Amino acid sequence: MSRSQEAAIGRPTDVAVPRVGFGRWFRKHKLEVALVIPLVAYVMVLTVVPILDTFRISLSGRAGNSFPSAQNYTSIFASRVFRTAIKNTIIVSLLSLSMELVLGMIVALTLHAKFFARGFVRTVALIPLGVPTIVSGAIMLLLFSRSGYLNSLMFVFVDLVNNIPGVNLEFQALSWTVAGGWRTLFTVAVADMWKVLPIVTLIFLAGLQSISEDVYEAASVDGATKWQRFMRITLPLLVPFITMAIILRAIDAFRIYELALVLAGRIEPVLGTYIGGRYLPPTNDPFTAASASIVLFGIIMIFIVAYLKFVAGRSRSA
Amino acid sequence: MSSTVVAGKDVLDKPLKLLFPVWVVISLLIVLFPVYLVFMVSVAPGSALFGERPALFVEDPTLRFWNDILQRGDLWGPLFKSLAVASFTTLLAIVIAAPAAYVISRLPVGLRYGVVIGLLVTRMFPEFTIGVSVATRFARLGLIDTYGGLVLAHLIGSLPFIAWILVGTFETIPRDLEEAAQIDGASKMGTLLRVVFPLAAGGIAVASLFVWLYSWNEFLYARLLTTNQNTLPLQVFQAIDRGSRQQMATVAAVLTLPILLVVYFLQRYLKPGALAGAVKG
Repeated sequence: MSRSQEAAIGRPTDVAVPRVGFGRWFRKHKLEVALVIPLVAYVMVLTVVPILDTFRISLSGRAGNSFPSAQNYTSIFASRVFRTAIKNTIIVSLLSLSMELVLGMIVALTLHAKFFARGFVRTVALIPLGVPTIVSGAIMLLLFSRSGYLNSLMFVFVDLVNNIPGVNLEFQALSWTVAGGWRTLFTVAVADMWKVLPIVTLIFLAGLQSISEDVYEAASVDGATKWQRFMRITLPLLVPFITMAIILRAIDAFRIYELALVLAGRIEPVLGTYIGGRYLPPTNDPFTAASASIVLFGIIMIFIVAYLKFVAGRSRSA
Repeated sequence: MSSTVVAGKDVLDKPLKLLFPVWVVISLLIVLFPVYLVFMVSVAPGSALFGERPALFVEDPTLRFWNDILQRGDLWGPLFKSLAVASFTTLLAIVIAAPAAYVISRLPVGLRYGVVIGLLVTRMFPEFTIGVSVATRFARLGLIDTYGGLVLAHLIGSLPFIAWILVGTFETIPRDLEEAAQIDGASKMGTLLRVVFPLAAGGIAVASLFVWLYSWNEFLYARLLTTNQNTLPLQVFQAIDRGSRQQMATVAAVLTLPILLVVYFLQRYLKPGALAGAVKG
């Protein structure tokens, strides 16, 4: 393409659109190609190929098995532990997701309001992001276990309330983590929520900041109450941000590992701890671990497709 | 209804105004109390920890557990491994991702956006799906328990992330500057090294801090690729599994301290998109 043609179209060409045959394009952009290749190669060799390889492993078995065989899949789906793990993963995800959305919205609204020392509070609100996941697991263990600090706090609270004449509350120390069932799953969800609430808050805060003050002013002139303004203006305008938060958080929640390992490890499996348990000693079975991780991959892919459709397709800042 | 609504005021105003400060203080406590707990328990004498109502304050703090882990020496190995792996991961991530990110940032808009979304999506894949294969191969290649093996694994998560941040950085550097340098006779490579990269230094610094943090905290790949030479997060897990409460809290405090500092400096760069898939349970 000549200069005059370019000028006729009226916009400068960007780099790297092959229009005149691959050879000439390549010679012109040798440097660019050389600069991209290490990254592309890395992602191919250590992300794409391993996923395909895990798929292959999931269809193989110890010596003597004919490849491909769905035996690993039938065996995990026949296992009660695996089905419990799937059920638990869904429960934990739903629990933590709903708590995160509600609390995240409240915290974002709080931090969006103007008040004394808001900058300080905003900084402090980010702290959980800086706490390593394994450490927040350790912390939740301190809080929720038998003779945990949540009980101490509850006692302090009950004592305070009992100072009010005529009130006489009783409280019994609870053990959450070793209880199993809902209680244990609840601690995992709370731990996850504590850790990632800042992310959800930041997403909602970005959304709130994108809404113009004028809309609210117009609404108050028309006599709308705070609650009406929230339900009829804020929420509808936040829908894209809520969608983004739900999808991104669901992807993370289904991959949950450390927190579940620490808080629910042997009592209530989730997909992550199930896969880890199959792969690592003493089980040492990469085959069922691979098939379970392919199942997890399939679930995550559903969310990724949703992300591409509903989030990435719409906003460029995603 | 209209009787309660006078010029934008309504029934919710009063309770909100009263409860607001209380709510702010409560939420600060929810954030800070758990962090306080780690440091408090790490200096608590054993007697303070038991019963169904463990003490919320330590009256006679002890440095016994800090002395213990500092002297016994099983902290130094993991600490050094974590430091070395995080630093090498960061270094390699920049060397591999920065040039690529520059080229991506100069692609036509549509293509560029596609590539960036592709990078983000690779971060959403479950680590286990990648890790099962990587760990089996690394075992065969003798990369278990090596620094190199773990650096390679940590690059899987870091590269797309750092490339994604840096594409944003390079996009802000005007092409006119490059053209000016080339008119003055600089080669393409010279322009990159002397004009573009120095201008991107700030963004590169922020991105490297994120990568360093990721590697410092990373647990899953470390667990798959380690049999006896722990990283610091694995050391915390070991203390959770078999240590006393104070030992667990002390190692956890060592792991947390540098991070709290780094996050303090990073806070203004924390944007929601940057965190997609970056932090998880």
